Amino acid sequence: MLLSVQNLHVKYGNIEALHGISFDIEEGEIVTLIGANGAGKSTTLHTITRLPPPEAPRVTAGDILFRGQSILGVPPHKIVSDLHIALAPEGRHIFGNLTVRENLQLATYARKDRANVQKDLDRVFELFPRLMERQKQRSESLSGGEQQMLAVGRAFMSGGRVLLLDEPSMGLAPLLMYEKFRTLKRLNQEEGITILLVEQNARIALQFAHRGYVLDTGEIVAAGTSAQLAADPEVKKAYLGG
Amino acid sequence: MEIFIQNIFNALQWGSFYALIALGYTLVYGVLLLINFAHGDIFMVGAYIAFFVATFLLGNYGVIAPGTLSGLTILMLAVPLTMILTSLVGVTLERIAYRPLRNKGAHRLYVVITALMCGLILENGNLALLGASRKKFPELLQNTVWTFGTISVTNLKVLVIFTAIAVFLFLQFVVTRTKTGMAMRAISFDKFAIPLMGIPINNIIVFTFILGSGFAGLAGLLFAMSYPILEPYMGALIGWKAFIAAVVGGIGDIRGAFLGGFLLAFVEIGVVAVFPSTLRDLMAFSVLLIILWWKPTGLFGIAKTTKI
Repeated sequence: MLLSVQNLHVKYGNIEALHGISFDIEEGEIVTLIGANGAGKSTTLHTITRLPPPEAPRVTAGDILFRGQSILGVPPHKIVSDLHIALAPEGRHIFGNLTVRENLQLATYARKDRANVQKDLDRVFELFPRLMERQKQRSESLSGGEQQMLAVGRAFMSGGRVLLLDEPSMGLAPLLMYEKFRTLKRLNQEEGITILLVEQNARIALQFAHRGYVLDTGEIVAAGTSAQLAADPEVKKAYLGG
Repeated sequence: MEIFIQNIFNALQWGSFYALIALGYTLVYGVLLLINFAHGDIFMVGAYIAFFVATFLLGNYGVIAPGTLSGLTILMLAVPLTMILTSLVGVTLERIAYRPLRNKGAHRLYVVITALMCGLILENGNLALLGASRKKFPELLQNTVWTFGTISVTNLKVLVIFTAIAVFLFLQFVVTRTKTGMAMRAISFDKFAIPLMGIPINNIIVFTFILGSGFAGLAGLLFAMSYPILEPYMGALIGWKAFIAAVVGGIGDIRGAFLGGFLLAFVEIGVVAVFPSTLRDLMAFSVLLIILWWKPTGLFGIAKTTKI
């Protein structure tokens, strides 16, 4: 098991946001976590990536294992540099005052495999040609969709072998959305990148993921392969619009 | 004409002091969006550290026999030692005063107030420790006057001006060309995403304080060599002025700190050349006020574009 979340209870202040959720991801999988707004999807990702205080959610019970080892004590920057788990957060959080290229370069700050950096940069530019065209622009001048690409490209450049993607479809026109998911699929198939995909758009998430979990107000209420979930009458009713 | 050129050299020297202090305000602001009001007093501490380092190396404390080291050797040793020790003071302030508040998510206003208090603590700590008597900084460099035609400059003035220029080039390189510099710029834009890039955020912040206070220490040493009387409040007014210079230049931008520093010095010395010197600060700051009126974000400042 690559990543295993076990009976995780998480609090923000005094409010419990996750009431003991468990799920697993195998190496090379695309797993999706679907659910409505406020279900605890982002909280789950933020708990895995151990945000620094004061934003940090507090784990009150349960554990997160990466290759069998608990990662709850690992500082946030080491989750990326040592465990190669990278988050492309909701709202993109790109560095708008840096150029596109600087954003991608900065992501390699802690990488030890210097030799692969250029290869990966070429790869990002091949997957997202728009980023190459605009590499010298200040990244805040990019469109929303391009910023999304940059956020994913940056997560890949940070050496991430497990990408945690928070709402990658948000704000994208349907055509762009499909294009983006096809690129993610390529990252998964050609680079062997494991993906944990958090999505409100269950329809597209279940089309591209191998397996999925349904999160509802801090609890996992359904799990299975994408086909099973897509056929589940409850899931259909609640998340796929009947 | 001679007086004019003489005044230009004076302005360049004063501007160098302002710039060397202003860059510390601008670096910390550029990273944390925090105005480190203790910075002027870090400069004062730097001057005192330079004093103790210099007198120690001169043999005043009996560890080194007097006369062993030449003035130039002492200066060469005092520069790195003063910078290292002063940056330790800056880093300590960050560690014990600013970081705990940051970790608790305190609003920046409280951190600014804390910085003001830290400045007062440094001033009064100095007063308590060393008393109110002034210190006389020893002469390290033999005063040499170079004459070009009718213009003469001292070696110390040239040293100060060249140091400021070298520091500017160095910092501009660090901030624009290195990954650490990129991280410094990125933090102020989006602190949340920094650890997601595998970057230990506190290391970048500590590095920023090392740079800012290290160069404040260097400014303290050069200032003490130029105006060799030290007292605990020597950093207060010059710190305020350097801060204003940084704002007028565009706080957060290295170029702004230097431009603002030299601008303030030129205006001040220009005023004194024409008007009675009592009008200096009144007129100088009125000019700066007009500049801010015209460009509220400073000469190099860019209005922050709102994030989409």
